[in-house]
Amino acid sequence: MTVRWIVRTASELCVTAGTLIVLFVVYLLYWTGVRADSAMDGEIGRLQDRWAAGPVAAADTPAPAPDPTAPPRRYPPGRSFAVMYIPRFGADWAKPVLEGTGTDVLQRGLGHYDRTARLGATGNFAVAGHRRTYGDPFKDFPRLRPGDAVVLTDGTTWFTYRIDNRPYTTLPTDIGVLDPVPRASGYPGPGRYLTLTTCEPEWGHSHRLIAWAHLDSTQPVAQGRPSALPG
Amino acid sequence: MYGWIWRHLPGTTWVKALISVVLVLAVVFVLFQWVFPWAEPLLPFNDVTVDQGMAATR
Repeated sequence: MTVRWIVRTASELCVTAGTLIVLFVVYLLYWTGVRADSAMDGEIGRLQDRWAAGPVAAADTPAPAPDPTAPPRRYPPGRSFAVMYIPRFGADWAKPVLEGTGTDVLQRGLGHYDRTARLGATGNFAVAGHRRTYGDPFKDFPRLRPGDAVVLTDGTTWFTYRIDNRPYTTLPTDIGVLDPVPRASGYPGPGRYLTLTTCEPEWGHSHRLIAWAHLDSTQPVAQGRPSALPG
Repeated sequence: MYGWIWRHLPGTTWVKALISVVLVLAVVFVLFQWVFPWAEPLLPFNDVTVDQGMAATR
């Protein structure tokens, strides 16, 4: 056990630790994005196949005599049910929306808070997404401005929401932002709202960034893409 | 450590080099496939929701 041996082993351990850290950064910045992009493309592809195969909503919207006291029907957990487009984030920005906000769900797309309203329904349709890692879906979140379009489709209908506020910073415990009439949003009463949440600061978790939107228009998929979408 | 591994690999220098490359690739694969996915949620980048903890108690 010489000094030489100790110095050599210690430096080898340091080099190993440094290599591990570099590899982990590569994994975070690059590999999670590769995996998430392919997972999201897969989700969108499966959705489009499902929609092409037949009227998806047939089993989804019979509602012969809707019971007003019944809780809102939920989407199947962990599965995609819609595609979101935000032209502000790029003309080719399209992400699947999955039911639930668990870690594994958010690695495959945007997550719909499962206790919030259904897409297009009265109440608050709330969606969370990664700002960094896993494809960086909400990387440009702070660039959202009032009037920006958030377009969603569930295979039968296009829903065009319009952003109403500049991104609002709040605390991670502020679940009031998900209320049917979101607190601090300034909405006067019940309506068809949409809430987007992501982390703030960009690489941290001390705060959350929130954007609210209201349903501006809907149109059947058969009538083509809404005018808010480029192309 | 690395010198000890190198001395205990069989074969000529070229065979040793080849085995080393395979070993490094195997370690990287294990890290990317299992170790990093386990470690990643411990970091804050996953915290994008406003009701963490709520879901667990629900």
